[in-house]
Amino acid sequence: MRIDELKIDSEMLYSGHNACPGCGAALAVRYLTKALGPNLAIVLTASCWSIISGMPPLTALKCPILHCPFPSAGSVGSGVKRGLNAAGHDDTTVVVLAGDGGTFDIGLQAMSGAAQRNEDYIFVCYDNEAYMNTGMQTSSATPFGARTATAPYPLFKAGQKKDIMQIMAAHGIPYAATATVAFPDDMESKLKKAQAIKGFRFIHILSPCPPGWGTESSDTIHLSRLAVSTGFFPLYEIENGVTWKMTHYQGEKKTPLKEYLSAQRRFKQMDRQRMEMLQHEVDHEWDCLMEKVATSPSE
Amino acid sequence: MSTDTMIQEKPCYSYGFEPSTANKTGDWRFLTPEKSSRLSPCRQDCLLDGEIPLWMEAVKQEKWEEAWQIVSRYNPFPAITGYVCYHPCTSNCNRGQLDQDIAIEEVEKAIGEWRLNNIKAVQRPIKYKGKIGIVGSGPAGLSCAYYLNAAGYSVTVYEKTSLIGGMLTLGIPEYRLPRYVLNRELYMLEESGIHFIKDCPIGDKKDLCELYEEYDNIFLATGAWKPRRAYIPGEEDRRVYNALDFLSAINSGGQLEISDPVVVIGGGNAAIDSARSALRLKGVNHVSLVYRRSRAEMPANQEEVEAAEREGVELIFNALPREVEKEEQDIIGLMFDYCKTDLNGLSIDRSRSFSKSCGTVVMALGQQADLSVFCEFGRDVPFFAGGDLITGPSTVPEAIKAGRIAAYGIVADLEGLPVPQVMLPEQPVVSFEDLNLATKLNIKMQHKECTPELEASRCLGCGTCNACGTCYIFCPDMAIDVINGRFELNLDYCKGCGICVKECPAQALVLEGGR
Ligand SMILES: Cc1cc2nc3c(=O)[nH]c(=O)nc-3n(C[C@H](O)[C@H](O)[C@H](O)COP(=O)(O)OP(=O)(O)OC[C@H]3O[C@@H](n4cnc5c(N)ncnc54)[C@H](O)[C@@H]3O)c2cc1C
Ligand SMILES: Cc1ncc(C[n+]2csc(CCOP(=O)(O)OP(=O)(O)O)c2C)c(N)n1
Ligand code: SF4
Ligand code: SF4
Ligand code: SF4
Ligand SMILES: [Mg+2]
Repeated sequence: MRIDELKIDSEMLYSGHNACPGCGAALAVRYLTKALGPNLAIVLTASCWSIISGMPPLTALKCPILHCPFPSAGSVGSGVKRGLNAAGHDDTTVVVLAGDGGTFDIGLQAMSGAAQRNEDYIFVCYDNEAYMNTGMQTSSATPFGARTATAPYPLFKAGQKKDIMQIMAAHGIPYAATATVAFPDDMESKLKKAQAIKGFRFIHILSPCPPGWGTESSDTIHLSRLAVSTGFFPLYEIENGVTWKMTHYQGEKKTPLKEYLSAQRRFKQMDRQRMEMLQHEVDHEWDCLMEKVATSPSE
Repeated sequence: MSTDTMIQEKPCYSYGFEPSTANKTGDWRFLTPEKSSRLSPCRQDCLLDGEIPLWMEAVKQEKWEEAWQIVSRYNPFPAITGYVCYHPCTSNCNRGQLDQDIAIEEVEKAIGEWRLNNIKAVQRPIKYKGKIGIVGSGPAGLSCAYYLNAAGYSVTVYEKTSLIGGMLTLGIPEYRLPRYVLNRELYMLEESGIHFIKDCPIGDKKDLCELYEEYDNIFLATGAWKPRRAYIPGEEDRRVYNALDFLSAINSGGQLEISDPVVVIGGGNAAIDSARSALRLKGVNHVSLVYRRSRAEMPANQEEVEAAEREGVELIFNALPREVEKEEQDIIGLMFDYCKTDLNGLSIDRSRSFSKSCGTVVMALGQQADLSVFCEFGRDVPFFAGGDLITGPSTVPEAIKAGRIAAYGIVADLEGLPVPQVMLPEQPVVSFEDLNLATKLNIKMQHKECTPELEASRCLGCGTCNACGTCYIFCPDMAIDVINGRFELNLDYCKGCGICVKECPAQALVLEGGR
C-alpha cells in the first residue's frame, strides 16, 4: 500500500485514549469515524467507550460525543438527528454507538422503536461479547460456553448468542451489515455504503477484547480474522431486510472453531462435547446464512 | 450550528474538547516494539549484497532518486547488472511461494535506466589528497574508481586496450548488453572526473613500480584473460580462435576471417556467447557447440543455453576434440572422441570417434588470470587486488563488489582508519513461513501489465520495513507516525500491545521487554 492510500489526514481518533492495550473497540471506532467523518456526531451509551473517549475536558475523537443513559441510545439518536435537521444540519451523519449490552439487552427496546420508525441514523454496535466496562458480566451477546464474571468456573454461559442480525432484518431496515477489525477495507466500504442510504442502518462490529476474552493483546487482529475464517462471525450485509449478501466469502472450507476457542482463556475449561456443540451450532447457522444468501431476491 | 462550532463553543461538558493526546499512554507500556532488520533471501543470494527490499520500497513509492541512492550504496551500475547479472537473487524469493518470484533484475534495470536518463554527470570535487591508480577498466576497476571518486579522491585508471569496460565491452555481446547503456555508464564515469589512460598495458608500457611511485595506493583488476589451450594438432591455425579474441574482435568491430560452418568448443558462458555471436555473423549459416560433458554438467547459465538452442545453435555433448582436420590451407573438419564423466573423472572412448565438418573453430575452454604483472613487485609493497584476477572467471556483480570493498579498504588505509565491516554479517534468513501474510490487505496480486512500480509493490519486504503501512492500519492507539514517508513508533502513546509486531507482514519488528 502506498502512503497516500492510507488517508492519514482523515483520522478522527486521537492518541492518548483510555482503551486497554490491543482493544478491538478502539480500533473499530477509529475505522468508523475515519470512514464517516468529519461531519459526524456520535451518541454514546454507557460502555467501555464512555471511558475510552476520555475524561472531560479531554476527548479522544475529533467529533462531538453526546453521552446518554444506558437504555436510551435508540431514542436519543432519533432526537439528535431530528434536532440537527430542524437546525438545518441535514448533512451531519449521526451515529449511535453502543456496546453489546447497550444493544442486545438494555438498549434493545429503544433501538427497536427507532428501527421500526426508520429513524435516519446509523446504529453501530461494537460487540465485545459481555459487559466489559463493569467487569465482564454475561450479556445476551456472550457466546455459548464462555466463562464470565457472572458465570465463573465451573459455570459457563449456557444459552446461545442472540441473533441480533435476524432481529434487525425482521425490522425491514434499509441496511444492516456485520464487520470486524481484521478487515478494515470491508468495514469501510460498508460504512460508506450505509452513509449514502437514508433511514435506519445497523452495523454489528465484532471487537475482540484482550482482558475480557483472556487473550494476548497482540492477538486482536488474529482473533478477529479467525472469527471470520471459522464461520463464527461471517461478514455479510442485508438490504431492506431481505437481500442477504456475503462480502467476504472464503469458500466452504472453514477453519475449525477449536483454533479460535483455544486462543481464549474464557473458553479454557470447555470440554470436547461443548466444543462440538458450538461447532455444530456455527455450522448450522452458516448453512442457514448460505441458504438466505442463495434464496435472496436480487434488488 | 455545524459540528465544528459545536466543538468550539465551550463550555459543553457532555464531551471533552481538548485532544486526549495530553494523556501520555506510553506510560502503560511494559513491552516495546522495535524495528529490526533481518536478512531477506534475495539479499542473502545477491552477489553484491544489495539492499533489495529497501530499494524495492522506494520504487514502489515512485521515489526513483531515493531508489538510486540506495542501490548505489552497493552497486553503482544497476542498469548493467539489470541486463547481465544471472540474478541468483530471484531463485529463493519468498514471493515465489505465493505466485511468482519478483523480477528483481527488471526493477534494478529500471532504476539504472532512470538514473542514466535523469541524473547529469557532474565533476566530483577532490576533497582528499590521496591519489589512487587502478589497473584494468573492467567492472571491478570501474566500481572501485566510482566509489573513490565519489568519496573525493583523485583516481586514474590504466587500461591495456583502446576500449574501457573490460569484459563488459569486449566479452559480453551487444545483444545482451545494449551499447547505449554501457556507453552512457562509461561517459558518466569520465564526466565525473575519473582519469582514464587507454592503450597502456601495465608491465609493458609502464611498470607497476613506477605506478607505485606516482600513486598513494593501487588497485589491480586485470581480469582473467589467459585462454586455456586444447593441446591438439592444428590448434595454431589462424581460423582456430580463442573465444575472447573472437568476441573482442566482434565487439570492437575488428576483422575476422570466417568460413562456414562454425564449431564452438566449450560449455561455459563464453562458449554460448561465441556461438550466438557467430550465428549473427554475415555468411555463417550453421553453428554447433560441442561440450565434453553432458548437458546437465554445463557450467553455462541455463537461460542462455536455451536461448542459443532457440536461435538454432546445434548442441553436441560428450565429445572431446582430437584434431583439427585440414586439406591444403583450409580447415575442413574437427575430429572428436566420445567421452563422459565417471568416478575417474573424464573417460575417453577412442573407438567411438566422429568427424564434424567445419571451416572455423572457436575454443572456449576457459580463462585464467595472468599473474605476470605481479612478478616485478617487491614483496613488502602493500596493494589491493580483486575481480577475476583474484577469483578466476566469475561474474560482473562479484567484480563490482570486489571494487567496492577495495575502495573502502583503500580509504581506510589512506586515512589510517580501521578497516570497515564490508561483509554481510551471518544472520538467519527470513523464510516464507516467518512472514505474516494473513493480511491480504497489503499484498498486491500478480499484475498483468507490469511496470517496475507495480512489480516492486509485489515485494513482501522480507525482514525489512518496506512501508507497507500494516502497523499503521492496525494500531488501536494511533501510535505509528508517518515521518518523511517512513513509519515510526511514537513511544509517547504506544501501549505495547504488540499488534504491529504480530501483524507486520515482513516481520520487521520485534517486541522487547521494558519501556
Ligand atoms: C564472454 C563472456 C561473457 C560473460 N557474460 C557475463 C554475464 O552475462 N554476466 C556476468 O555477471 N558475468 C559475465 N561474464 C564474466 C564477467 O565479465 C567477469 O567476471 C567480469 O568482467 C570480471 O571483471 P574484472 O573487472 O575483474 O575483469 P575484466 O572485466 O576482465 O577487466 C579487466 C580489464 O583489465 C585490462 N587489463 C588486463 N591486463 C592489463 C594490464 N596489464 N594493464 C592494464 N590493463 C589491463 C583488460 O583489458 C580489461 O579491460 C562473462 C565473461 C565472458 C568472458
Ligand atoms: C442504567 C445503567 N445500568 C448500569 C450501568 C453500568 N454500566 C456502565 S457500562 C456497563 C457495561 C456496558 O456493557 P456493553 O454495553 O457491552 O459495553 P462494554 O462495556 O462491553 O463496551 C454497565 C453495566 C449504567 N451506566 N447505567
Ligand atoms: S475492556 Fe475490552 S473493550 Fe473495554 S477498553 Fe479494554 S479491551 Fe477495550
Ligand atoms: S519478496 Fe521482496 S524481499 Fe522477499 S525475497 Fe522477494 S524480492 Fe526479496
Ligand atoms: S500496535 Fe500501536 S500500541 Fe500496539 S504495540 Fe504497536 S505501536 Fe504500540
Ligand atoms: Mg460489551
